[in-house]
Amino acid sequence: MKKGFKFLIFIMIAAMLLSGCSNEKNVAINQKEETVAKEENKEPVEINLQGGDWGYPSPYTHYSRGPGIFKMRLIFDSLLERGEEGLIPWLAESWDISDDGRLYTFKIRQGVKWQDGEPMTAEDVKFSFEYYSKYPPVSDDLGISENNYIEKIEVVDENIIKIQVNEPNATLLERFGTARIIPKHIWSDVDDPTKFTDSKAVIGCGPYILTDYNEEQGAYRFEAFKDYWGPKQKVDVIKFVPVSDSLLAFENGEIDLTGITPDVLSKYENTPQYKVLESPAYWGYKLALNMEKRPEFKDKNLRQALAYAIDKEELVEKVARGAARVGSAGYLPVEHIWYNKNIKQYDFDIDKAKKLLDNKTYNFTLLTGDSNPELRIAELMKINFEKAGINIEVKSVDSKSRDAAIKNGDYEMALNGYGGWGGDPDMLREQYRSKNREKTIFSGIPGYSNEKINKLCEEQLHEMNEEKRKEIVFELQEEIAEEIPQIPIYNTTGYVVFRPEKYDGWKHVFNHHEVTHNKISYLEME
Amino acid sequence: MNCIKRILEYIIVFFVIISFNFFIPRLMPGDPFTFLSSDEGSVHSSYTDEQIEKYKAYYGLDKPLWEQYKDYVYNLFRGDLGYSIYYNEAVSSIILKRVIWTIGIVVVSIVLSSLLGIFVGAFSAWHRNSAIDKIIYSIMIVFSEIPSFLIAMLLLFGLAAGKGWFPLSGGITVFGEYKNVFEKIKDIVHHGFLPVLALVLSQTGGYYLLSRNSMITVLSKDYMLTASAKGLDDRRIIFRHGLKNAILPVITRIFMNLGSVFGGAILVENVFSYPGIGRLMREAVMVRDYVLMQGIFLNICILVLTMNFLADIVCRKIDPRVE
Repeated sequence: MKKGFKFLIFIMIAAMLLSGCSNEKNVAINQKEETVAKEENKEPVEINLQGGDWGYPSPYTHYSRGPGIFKMRLIFDSLLERGEEGLIPWLAESWDISDDGRLYTFKIRQGVKWQDGEPMTAEDVKFSFEYYSKYPPVSDDLGISENNYIEKIEVVDENIIKIQVNEPNATLLERFGTARIIPKHIWSDVDDPTKFTDSKAVIGCGPYILTDYNEEQGAYRFEAFKDYWGPKQKVDVIKFVPVSDSLLAFENGEIDLTGITPDVLSKYENTPQYKVLESPAYWGYKLALNMEKRPEFKDKNLRQALAYAIDKEELVEKVARGAARVGSAGYLPVEHIWYNKNIKQYDFDIDKAKKLLDNKTYNFTLLTGDSNPELRIAELMKINFEKAGINIEVKSVDSKSRDAAIKNGDYEMALNGYGGWGGDPDMLREQYRSKNREKTIFSGIPGYSNEKINKLCEEQLHEMNEEKRKEIVFELQEEIAEEIPQIPIYNTTGYVVFRPEKYDGWKHVFNHHEVTHNKISYLEME
Repeated sequence: MNCIKRILEYIIVFFVIISFNFFIPRLMPGDPFTFLSSDEGSVHSSYTDEQIEKYKAYYGLDKPLWEQYKDYVYNLFRGDLGYSIYYNEAVSSIILKRVIWTIGIVVVSIVLSSLLGIFVGAFSAWHRNSAIDKIIYSIMIVFSEIPSFLIAMLLLFGLAAGKGWFPLSGGITVFGEYKNVFEKIKDIVHHGFLPVLALVLSQTGGYYLLSRNSMITVLSKDYMLTASAKGLDDRRIIFRHGLKNAILPVITRIFMNLGSVFGGAILVENVFSYPGIGRLMREAVMVRDYVLMQGIFLNICILVLTMNFLADIVCRKIDPRVE
């Protein structure tokens, strides 16, 4: 008996020691730079943020969600960057688009260095784009692997690159501008990039160097890159540490910024040691209607009746606890830079809904995910729909099953939520244009086709004059709001709280809601 | 003959389990590449249909199911668990990095909770029906009925967040530097203390009840009467004569229990963000990473089968009457 006991103790100690050892194998470590204490007397600024494993931050090995994407972007720069108002020059000092919209000329900044000391040139840009056409990265900004719209890339000299495309397309500048530039001298002989996890895979020319990555703990450490070409880093070290509950960790000072729910907002508001920021509403829920499965939805009156019968204000109040904006019938959320406020509004009105329905009654099933807000939205909508004479059966499944059902068109009505509503208005085309030829990520609106909307969708895509394009997008929103082929419910805002004395540089960019995900939050911008 | 039969049984069970591991994840709706929705506030990069096709081909998911199954079994016997779709890494190396943490807290908590259960149970049985027995009994019942993750949450809020005695999360201080190995062990124990405590609290009750019952039965035996008639002191009677006979069902339970302790550990790990297999499993299911799911389930299954097998052997060793 005694022997057995000793043996168990031995195992227990061995297990603990071993677990310790595995931890020592922290990956990466490029040249581990000494923290640059720039000015004398000035303490290096070090901030801690919520960690979690989001993959090794090379363009091919990070995980596909937001926190993975932006960690990779700290290391890798692109031709343009997202600023507070719009795209700003970055690796490209300036650019020019020919009148026919088919030739892009970028002037690449001189004196940019890769984090291993090699110079970055126009050759690297050409290489990166060509590499992406062969191997699409996880966050595929260019999207040229299956439909290559680039006809020719020409390096004129070290600093000038010309890109010829097959047709004018208003979304291309942003695509070219946000695709990450990777070093030719490292990637040119990598032919299975998803398995390339060498420490060289995380050498970019961005402001931060990865010094530590611990996958199982979900911890990262980034250090300012000394020879960075661009704006000075205001933060010298960014650490991502594992947390169990982010609010507890924030209270304990383990992390310096956290997202909070409206319920605890009052605790931090008007308290000098905290600062609260409200995020722009670029994440939203929508109600999708499947007109192929239930042709009744092709009747515009029914769709408008549905829109009138949803009390969006109530949902914002009760489900989002005020931290949301009512969805716009024209899809682009109210805080989108191109939101058209003169579109048709569907204020909650059961009588109007009843009138539009003309005493007809309907029965539909509504597919939702299994998260708390989704279930509440579904149940609250159900009550009001019933008042108008539309009976709903709510069917709740896990999020992946719901996505699969939506993709396969296996639903009547479906509620789902996703981010990116602040992006290029071309998303209207992806959402509303009828899909008979092309395949896209969204299932679109099965069974729906409207000639005018289709036409406007195509027009805005090819209109290179920004003012003219804006006009088309405004008209498109009016058309969409009138037709209301799917119903945006609300866009969440949410709050972040931080300690300004620790770091106060958090900024929002024009199309994204997460302050920590923006490069300019960490840099000294004029 | 008997032995061969048992081994055959184990092999059949193993095959049934790996087949389930293979088919159930793949028959769930959804696939690893379709993301139409995301958690509130989070953004997801989406793939086009062509990209999804490309990825499916890359990971061999475009082949018919039975062919994938054939490949899976073939690779399994070559010791190849495959390559994780979401994590972009060999499944065996992902699991190896994490399983050690889980085994650590599971083993420590089993040892502690079974010892505690056995001794307190024996003590209770000796003083059965007294006030102290009744108090211990009710406390143990209460703790054995609370799910481990709930205890974990109470501990997290009380001792880690409230008092600040323990770290809130993780298995080790990140980016920590240690003067010597003892400091490191101290750090690991410090981090592991609450997860282990949560498991111990929820497990001890079961062992206690078993030990107490078994001890009460033993105490009514004639040889116990003989022992006290010989004038032996209480401690000697309980531990030498009583416990030795009463412990058998507890030992069996320790091994049989392993599956459920793993289950509990998985939930507790999620509460403390402990870097073990539990969090990994949750993530793998959520993103439909078939290959990784198979790998994790396979490992747990092998572990549980081995433990059952050991339980068989150990019980025979301790009590030759078991057949």
